[in-house]
Amino acid sequence: MGTTSTSSTPDILRGTLDLLILKSLSWGPAHGYAVAHWIELATSDALAVGEGSLYPALHRLEEREWIAAAWGTSENNRQAKFYTLTRRGRARLRVEEQNWRRYAAAVFAALDAPGRA
Amino acid sequence: MPTWRRFRQIFGPEPRSDVDAELSFHLEMRVRELMARGETEERARELAAQRFGDYEASRRECVVIDERLERSMAQAAYLREIRQDAAYALRTLARAPAFTAVALLTLALGIGANSAIFSVVNGVLFRGLPYRDADRLYRVQMLYPDGTAYTALSAPDFMSVRQDARVFDQVEAYSTGIFTLLGSGEPKEVRGATVSDGLFTMLGLPLAVGRGFAREEHQPGRGAVTVLDYGFWLREFGGDRSAVGRTVKVGGTPYTIVGVLGPGARLSSEADMYAPLEYREPFNASTATARRSEYLAVIGHAKPGIGLTDVVNDLQRVGRELQTTFPNTNGRLTFTSISLMELIVGDVRRPLLMLLGAVGFVLLVACVNVANLLLARASARQQELALRTALGASRARVLRQLLTEAVVLGLAGAAAGLAVAYWATRMLVAAEPADLPLLNQVGLDRTVIVYTVAITLATSIAFGLLPALQATGARVADGLREGVRGGAGIRGHRIRAMLVIAETALAVVLLTGAGLLIRSFAAMMHVDPGFRTEHAMAFRVTLQGESYQRAEQIRSRVDELQQRLRTLPGVTAVAATTVLPMSGLAAIIDFAVEGAPPPPPNVNQEIAVASVTPGYFTAVGTPLKRGRAIDDRDTAEAPRAAVLNEAAVRRWFPDRDPIGRRVLMSGNAYVVVGIVGDILQRDPGEPVAPQLFASYAQRTSRSPRIVVRTQSDPIALAPTIRTTVRALDPNLAIPEFTPLDQLVATAVARPRFYMSLLTLFAAVALALAATGIFGVMSYGVAQRSREISIRIALGALARDVVWMIVGRAALLAGTGLAIGIAAALALGRVIRGQLFGVGLVDPVTLVAVAVALGAGSALASFLPAWRATRVDPLIALKAE
Repeated sequence: MGTTSTSSTPDILRGTLDLLILKSLSWGPAHGYAVAHWIELATSDALAVGEGSLYPALHRLEEREWIAAAWGTSENNRQAKFYTLTRRGRARLRVEEQNWRRYAAAVFAALDAPGRA
Repeated sequence: MPTWRRFRQIFGPEPRSDVDAELSFHLEMRVRELMARGETEERARELAAQRFGDYEASRRECVVIDERLERSMAQAAYLREIRQDAAYALRTLARAPAFTAVALLTLALGIGANSAIFSVVNGVLFRGLPYRDADRLYRVQMLYPDGTAYTALSAPDFMSVRQDARVFDQVEAYSTGIFTLLGSGEPKEVRGATVSDGLFTMLGLPLAVGRGFAREEHQPGRGAVTVLDYGFWLREFGGDRSAVGRTVKVGGTPYTIVGVLGPGARLSSEADMYAPLEYREPFNASTATARRSEYLAVIGHAKPGIGLTDVVNDLQRVGRELQTTFPNTNGRLTFTSISLMELIVGDVRRPLLMLLGAVGFVLLVACVNVANLLLARASARQQELALRTALGASRARVLRQLLTEAVVLGLAGAAAGLAVAYWATRMLVAAEPADLPLLNQVGLDRTVIVYTVAITLATSIAFGLLPALQATGARVADGLREGVRGGAGIRGHRIRAMLVIAETALAVVLLTGAGLLIRSFAAMMHVDPGFRTEHAMAFRVTLQGESYQRAEQIRSRVDELQQRLRTLPGVTAVAATTVLPMSGLAAIIDFAVEGAPPPPPNVNQEIAVASVTPGYFTAVGTPLKRGRAIDDRDTAEAPRAAVLNEAAVRRWFPDRDPIGRRVLMSGNAYVVVGIVGDILQRDPGEPVAPQLFASYAQRTSRSPRIVVRTQSDPIALAPTIRTTVRALDPNLAIPEFTPLDQLVATAVARPRFYMSLLTLFAAVALALAATGIFGVMSYGVAQRSREISIRIALGALARDVVWMIVGRAALLAGTGLAIGIAAALALGRVIRGQLFGVGLVDPVTLVAVAVALGAGSALASFLPAWRATRVDPLIALKAE
């Protein structure tokens, strides 16, 4: 934990955060903190997901009707806003995931390619 | 609908506190986690805040997004409600097919009739003339001493106006005539117009093919060129572009076709062919000759900012100058003007607006009827509405739903109405009613559709609001308790009675108007036309070309034609004239009685002139009053003879015997030999003008009308007459025949058109009002069946019950009648201009209206009354 220095972790690409949020919700409804927590764990905290940008991203996804929000009770009995993946969101996730994999594979292929002859 | 949306709707949207709650939950969880790892609370809070980053920026962004989301969701919810209401309305309407059918039919007729009449009014009155700067075009007219205007000018007067009028930046003229066209199939008559050099440009009439007229083609002898009307080009030349360049013979002279006008480009009087106006000698502003030979229609294009008053003042100045320069010809005359639009549509504006108003009344009656139906249904639906209210729907919400129902009904009615209007407009235009101007501009265009939608929304709210208020106003508990039998009760019944009175009053206004027009029309048809219409017809021969250069050639051909026609079997009389009855005044000529002092300054010095052959008065059936008719003595060489009509005797010889007196026409002396009865010259509503009949032999025209009187149906002779004409000269156009009774029908076509439409509207309104009375009476009987059954049980006779119901209907109708007649009298000035021989307060009309309404209401209340007598006391009482 501790302070994260922006110089040592890559700045998260726009769109990548959306993908990670959708992925985290694909296992079921979750509140914002849980989403943030899952991203930390899943990426070994390697991506600096600014929590400040997580919430606007969640609300924007809600506006696009990719996720839906509802107030519910958290595990420690507090009112929390739970997000659920909508059907459209699930479809979007599939597309985004494929795009990302293709993109990453292309970049890897380039990095692994032999030098110029 | 997802659960969270419902949740949100109950607690209402509060983006700010929602975002705060969400973000503080996050921070708290983070703090809790850090503390679990052993951090102090203070340190944990610091770290959590640090990790979160810019809290305020994040919060602001979330609130903005949420508020936007709220708004769009509220809109979506609103639209969804309207959709739901509309779908619900459709289901409700579908469940009551009889109600829906009656309401739709009523609305379709009401709205359709309105759209149809509006499309005529829009095309004729609102769209304007199809000319460039149409609102700056003025027609120049001659103004006579008695204040009457005449629409034609002489060539020198036209040139004077063109040269001296300061209000116009352009002055143009044209003249029309009938010509025989040779060179494209059979010889035929065409309508020709000769136009001044700038007319097409000033009016902005485009050319589809070829060119217009060059300036030098207006010089005498160089104008043998013609431009075709677009429709004529299509009909005669099949739209062939190579027609341009061809030569055709018009009136015996060869003309080269140089162009074709664009589609729809036309003068106010239609023409098939145009030729350049040749500027012969009289086209000279400084000449004194031919100033009183008026035949040109003159149109001026006003300079910017010039109004009618300026135009009239300036033209009168020009007229006064001519009075001093040419006292002999222009001494008593000057000019005036009227806007071209006013000239063309002026006399149809008031009647058309009256019809629009009348058809608006029909729509109001239709609205009242639908409102009545809705009220009756609202009573039946009381329980449903009470249930909805009990389940939490607000009054506004139920009101909105009922209004949506009304609008759905209205829009469906409008859709059907537009179909009715489309059909009705086409019928109206195809019938070419009464020569209405600008009919080619009539159609269902955007303006008409916007108007239809507007009146539909207005009427939907009008007929929907009252029943909706009524239905939602009743208390919920009452509605539930009264159950299906209940209803808006006495209050609703009173409202319905008032509606019936209102629609009856509206129907009475229309009936009164229609009655007055019917009476006027009857009065017109009772005017003695001065000639006998049955078993007679007329046709025109036009004698032009090389064989008809001299007057005696024309005369001998006309004589020959008459002689041959007289030998045909069944023909009893044949004669020729230059002017048929009821076809206008034609030539109006300077007139004076020799030796008599000049007439007072406010009296016209002109007389209408016709030339007739011997036997004309017998042929048309006009009685000779004194002296003799034009006969075989009045040859070309004999002294000029004149027969006057009685109107001329009244004006020029009020206390002297005219027979044997000499009169002067344009300086030529005539001897009065006889007096005939007045023959109508225009429609029966117009007084007969003084008229002089000269001998055709002494005053010959190229284009006489031949009148043929027969023993039976004259039209049966048409083929024989065509053959006769053909045999006489194959270059004569094949004539068209006009039965004389057609002359009367044409002259009264406009009053007949207005009368027919208004009568139709009145009949529809009466039928609707009767339906309304029927509805209210039936409902009343159903409501009062208990009372009625008690009366019957107590020994009341069926007759008493019937009288009770019919009497109540009569009360409604009577109240409506009184209000309606008062309203009709108040609206009298709208129709006054259309009346002839009948006053606004016409006892016959009023009695007829009362009788029609009485019969209608009696008929409408009889069935409910009869039903009331069949009420079985046992069943009625048990039903409670």
